[in-house]
Amino acid sequence: MKRFARSTEMTLLVIGIVFFIGLVIASGGDLLAANSLRVLLQFLAVPILIGLAQMVVLAVGQLNLAVGAIGGFAAAAMGVLMADHGVSVPLALLIGFLLAGIVGLLNGVLVVLTRINGFIVTLATMTILLGVQYRLVGTRTVDAYPQGLKTFGAAALFGVIPWIFVVALIVAGLLAVMLKRTVPGRQLLASGGNPIAARLSGISNDRSVIVAHTLSGAILGVAAILTVASSPGVNKSIGGDWLLPSFAAPIIGGALLTGGSAVVLGTVLAAFIVRFVDTARAEFSLEPSWVNFVVGAVVLGSVVLGQVRTRRQERRSVVKSPDVAVAGGVS
Amino acid sequence: MTAPVSETATQALQEDAPIEKPPRGAPWWANQRIGLLVLVVLLGVLFGILRPAFYNQQLVIFPLLRDIAMFTVVGLAQLCVLSIGHMNLAVGRMAAFSMMLTGISYDLFHLTLYSGLLVGLVAGTAIGALAGWVIARTGVNSFVVTLALDFLLLGLIPLVYTGLTDNAAFVTKPPGMRELRNYSLADVCVGNVCGSPAVPQLALFAVVAMAVVGWIYARTRLGRELLMTGSSVKAAELSGIPTARRVITAHAMSGCLAALAGFMLAVSTGSIKATIGEEFMLPSFLGPILGGTLLAGGFVSIWGTLIGTALTSVIRKGLDLLGVGLESLNIYLGLILLVALSTDRVRTVLSERQEVRRQ
Repeated sequence: MKRFARSTEMTLLVIGIVFFIGLVIASGGDLLAANSLRVLLQFLAVPILIGLAQMVVLAVGQLNLAVGAIGGFAAAAMGVLMADHGVSVPLALLIGFLLAGIVGLLNGVLVVLTRINGFIVTLATMTILLGVQYRLVGTRTVDAYPQGLKTFGAAALFGVIPWIFVVALIVAGLLAVMLKRTVPGRQLLASGGNPIAARLSGISNDRSVIVAHTLSGAILGVAAILTVASSPGVNKSIGGDWLLPSFAAPIIGGALLTGGSAVVLGTVLAAFIVRFVDTARAEFSLEPSWVNFVVGAVVLGSVVLGQVRTRRQERRSVVKSPDVAVAGGVS
Repeated sequence: MTAPVSETATQALQEDAPIEKPPRGAPWWANQRIGLLVLVVLLGVLFGILRPAFYNQQLVIFPLLRDIAMFTVVGLAQLCVLSIGHMNLAVGRMAAFSMMLTGISYDLFHLTLYSGLLVGLVAGTAIGALAGWVIARTGVNSFVVTLALDFLLLGLIPLVYTGLTDNAAFVTKPPGMRELRNYSLADVCVGNVCGSPAVPQLALFAVVAMAVVGWIYARTRLGRELLMTGSSVKAAELSGIPTARRVITAHAMSGCLAALAGFMLAVSTGSIKATIGEEFMLPSFLGPILGGTLLAGGFVSIWGTLIGTALTSVIRKGLDLLGVGLESLNIYLGLILLVALSTDRVRTVLSERQEVRRQ
C-alpha cells in the first residue's frame, strides 16, 4: 500500500481528481450532468486504446510510429467494406480487426527478420499505410454504413457510461491481466527489461517483439472499430492525429522507453488527464492549440520530474548502503 | 547521454550480427552509396525514356533540384543529432518556429531578406540548444524531449500566428525573395559564361550547408568528438570529451539547419505559414538512413544524405509524371525504404561471408 501511495499512478490519480473537481467548480456543476459526463467519456475511449497500443511496444523496448496509420487504415477498410461492398457489420469489423492485427504482426516479423531498427520499420509501414488508406477512401467521407453500428457508438450504460468506453476499459483490463499474469506477458516484460538476461533464461526475444507488435496492432483494430462506430464517417484524416497522444499517455503514465514496464493503469489515468485538459479548453473557450501546448509541457515536466526522482532515490540508497556503493565503484 | 529508443531489444537481437557498416576492404558493390548512386542514375534514365518531359529544364529539373536541395538540408539537420545517437522529432516544428520569428522580423521590423534569415538561424540554434540542454541536463531520452518540444511548438506557433496575423501567414515579402525563388545559375554570369538554367540559386544554400557540415565532421576536432560521443558516451567521457556540451552542440546545429531548411521552403513556396515543416519528419530520416548514417550514432555520411534524398525525390517526381496520385506515392516510398534497407542488410551479410571465405 505504501508503495502504491508513492507510485506514479497515485500521483496521477490525485492530479486527475483535483483537476476534475476544479473543472466541476469552474463549470458551475454542469459537468456532472449526465449528458456532459457521457460526452467526456465518449471521447476518452479511443485515446485510452491508442495509448495502450503504444505502451505494449514500449514495454518490449520498441516503438510503433504506425499507430495512427494502422488505425486509420483498418477504419477505412471497415467503412469501405460495409458501404461499398455490402459486407455485413460483424464480418466487416472482424476483417478490419484482423487486418490491423496482421499489420502489427508484419511489423514485428520485419523487425526480427531484417534487424532494422523498429523506428525505421514502423516509419516505413506508416508511410505505406497512409498511402493505402488514401487509395481506399480518397477524398470522400464514407458514411453509408448500417445505422445499427452508429447506434451502438452513441449508446450508453445508464445513459452515462458509453458502451465504447466500457469496451476500452475491458481491453485495458485484459491487457493488464495478460502482462502481469500470463507467461507470454511476463516473457514480454522480461525481454523489455533486460534482453540478455531474458535470453539466458531461455526466453525468445524475437518472439516477444513479434507478440508486442501484434498486440499493438490488435488493440488498434479495436480502436478502429470504436472510431467507426462513434464518428459520423470515415475519411482519410482518421488516425492522422494519433501519434503524439499515443506517446503522451504512456510517458505521462510512467512507462520507461527502455522497456520492461507495464503501466496499464498509468496510461489510462494519463488519457483521463489529457481529456480533462481538452475539456478545460472547451470550458474556457480557448484556442485548440492550447491543448498541444499544455500536453507538451506536461510530458516534458513529468519526464524531468521522474528523472529527478530516480536520481534522488539512487543517491539515498547509496548513502544508506555505503558498502554496496564501494563495491559497485570497484567493479 | 541516453541510448536511442528501442535499442535494448534490438541490441539483443543484433548481438550475433555485427554493426551494419561494411568492413574495410569489402567489395565495391557492398558500398551502399555507390549502389544508391547507380540506382538514382538508372531511375533517371528510366523515367526519361518513359516520359521525355522528365528532362524539361524549367518545369521538372529546376523544381526537382530545389526539392533535393531543401530536403538535403532537412536530412543534414537530422544527421547532426544522429551522429551522437540521438533523434530530433521536432525538426519540422523547429523550422516553423524559426520561420515564425523571421516572419515577425519582416513584418514588424522590416528587416532585409538576409538579416531575417539570420534571425531565423539564431532562433533555430537557440531552440535546438534548448532541447540539447534539457537532454544533457536531465539525461532523458532525446526522443521524448524532442517529441514533447514538438507538442509545445505545435501548440505555440498557431497561437502566435493568430495573434499577429490576419490569415495565419506573414504577408510582408522583403525585396529579393521572389528573385531568389525563380533565379537559376543562368542569372549568374562571369564574363560570357553563364551557369545552367536548370540549377536553382536556392541550391547554393544546400551546397554551403553540406560543405560546412562535411568540414566539421571530417576535419575538425568538434566533429571527431561528436562522432566519438555517438559511438560510446562512456568512452568519450573517459577520454576527456565534454559529452554534455557536445550533446547541446549537436542539437543546436540541428536546429540551425532546420531553420535554414524552413527558410528554403518559405522562399520556394513564397509564404511564411504556420504549417512550414509539417512534412519534414519522414524525409529527414529517409535521406541520412538510406545514405548509410547509423541510427545508433558514431557514423555519418554527408554525400550519402544527398544521394539518399536525391533517390526519394527522383522517385517522387518520376512517379508523379507517370500519373501516380501524389498520396499513393507514399506506398512506394515506404516500400522502397524497406527494400533498400533490407537489401543493404543482405549485401552486408553476403560481403562478410565472402570476407570469411577469403581468410
